[in-house]
Amino acid sequence: MGSVSIRDARKSYGSVEILHGVSIDIADGEFVVLVGPSGCGKSTLLRMLAGLEDISGGEIAIDGKVVNALPPKERDIAMVFQSYALYPHMTVAQNMGFSLKLARAPKDEINRRVAVAAQMLSLDPYLDRYPRQLSGGQRQRVAMGRAMVRDPKVFLFDEPLSNLDAKLRVQMRSEIKQNHQRLSTTTVYVTHDQIEAMTMADRIVVMHDGIVEQIGTPLELYDYPDNLFVAAFIGSPSMNILGGKLQSGQFLAADGSCIALPFAPTGMDGGAVSLGIRPEHFVLDPTGFPAEIITVEPTGSETQVAMRLAGHDVVGVFRERITARPGETIPVRADQARIHLFDSQTGKRIQQG
Amino acid sequence: MSAVASAPAKLKRTGLPVPLIIIGSLLLVFVCLFPFWWMGLSSIKTLRELYTIPPIWWPSMPTLENYRKVLFESNIPRYFLNSVVVSVGSTGLALILAIFASYGFARFNFRGKPLLQSFVLVGQLLPTAAIIVPLFITLRVLGLVNTYWGLILVYMILTLPLSVWMLTSYFKAIPVELEEAAIIDGASRIGCLFRITLPLSVPGLVSVLVYAFVTTWNEFIFALCFATDSSVKTLPIGLAEFSTEFNTDWGAVMAASVVMTLPIAILFLSMQRLFVGGMTAGATKG
Repeated sequence: MGSVSIRDARKSYGSVEILHGVSIDIADGEFVVLVGPSGCGKSTLLRMLAGLEDISGGEIAIDGKVVNALPPKERDIAMVFQSYALYPHMTVAQNMGFSLKLARAPKDEINRRVAVAAQMLSLDPYLDRYPRQLSGGQRQRVAMGRAMVRDPKVFLFDEPLSNLDAKLRVQMRSEIKQNHQRLSTTTVYVTHDQIEAMTMADRIVVMHDGIVEQIGTPLELYDYPDNLFVAAFIGSPSMNILGGKLQSGQFLAADGSCIALPFAPTGMDGGAVSLGIRPEHFVLDPTGFPAEIITVEPTGSETQVAMRLAGHDVVGVFRERITARPGETIPVRADQARIHLFDSQTGKRIQQG
Repeated sequence: MSAVASAPAKLKRTGLPVPLIIIGSLLLVFVCLFPFWWMGLSSIKTLRELYTIPPIWWPSMPTLENYRKVLFESNIPRYFLNSVVVSVGSTGLALILAIFASYGFARFNFRGKPLLQSFVLVGQLLPTAAIIVPLFITLRVLGLVNTYWGLILVYMILTLPLSVWMLTSYFKAIPVELEEAAIIDGASRIGCLFRITLPLSVPGLVSVLVYAFVTTWNEFIFALCFATDSSVKTLPIGLAEFSTEFNTDWGAVMAASVVMTLPIAILFLSMQRLFVGGMTAGATKG
């Protein structure tokens, strides 16, 4: 049982502050993914939670107990590293039992718990092998087994799938998810891959330049991004952002074309705004704008089209098969209900009403 | 493409042709081993055969007389014991100190680290002749002249700097994540060092051990100055004692040299396997 509460956590190296006051509350049993581009401070935050980095300011509490000054072993956490960090001179069983051995658990207790974890991860046949005799996926599983054996309050994952090939990554993703459903241990998972974040998380924390941009469920972030950064970061291909301004309740693009809005923002007439529309929310419509096709990339189930629309390069994804060639135009329209509007100055979402 | 079709076709070798490589290697081995061969050969020759010109390649009557003289009528056995005590003592001490110093240099950041690291090397840079007198005075004040401890400490000073540098770079090459994982698993810093880092550093530790042992085993100048009593003299001094002002008993020198070389040869052969790296394979990544 472990809730995690991070209050205004700060981290500086010398005079450079890289985490500017981060606050996150994680409920017991929740699977939270920290996601953001490289250098946003997500790994640092995780390492502060683990106790591998000092906390320069603020407070981190696990299960209601402030752990700022506690060494890692007293925090009751387990961590899976990006590089797995398996002890090369120990067998799989010894790797998994190492923490229990350090805690002076009885031998049969260690064996029992290692066996249970190995069973769960289908590692039984490999218990006597050394890490160098295992494949990437198996090593990854041993690293998870090492964490599971301890039955900690919180699991920490630091980009655990980055070293695997694409296919294995998808497989391990669902294995991690399944294990979480079985164990329901609170999990904090760091990744730079928004697809991983979307597919695995109960809640996602989007971080950027040392601050939290938005916290929410995957679909909340997808449907209602708080700001331009989240809008552009979540979703693949990413959301198209068109710069322009508001004019009498309509969006006026840079090239002068007008797009009707689902609602009229009040008190912002003439202000610079950005209009966001996801690639899959373009529809082919004979009454729409003519868009000049740049490239067509069919994937079979859908077709991704790069096109020039209202003076902007945009990407659209269509379920229909597009036969038009580059240079030709197709009529497209943005699904009005799915249009996002942001204040260009602050980057904040403009709410309806 | 045709190579794929004819399955057993070998890839063409690049580089020198095989016979040249063999000849080159043989030549190198010959040059390296000839002194040892000559040493062994001379140790079983009689005195008269030793001085024969042209030299004879195989003695007409091989004799163990030289060995009998060295082992039963000289101080060599005592010196051998002294050498063992001094070399093992200083190597052990240097290794223990080097492990902790290197771990500190490799893993922690502290003020003045680069300065301290370069100071470790400064001792190594001073010419032997320049430090003999100061060292001798120091040892005399401490009452350590003509004692095992005197030589052990001097040799430790001699071998420690390079040992620290060798081990520091070895420790640095071990992924930090392994120790972080161990810390998360509940190990202390010392626990990390002994349970994770040291077991993975065996090749590095062995290199340091062999380096320190060989250096102290062969050391001559310091031993000559600081150990004048036969109760602490070491083997290199013993070798020199066979040469007197007017005569050198070459047969005995050669036999004693063989006795002195054997431990080093055994050390190298037994540790050879451990030099091989690859201990951390499989630790990280895939």
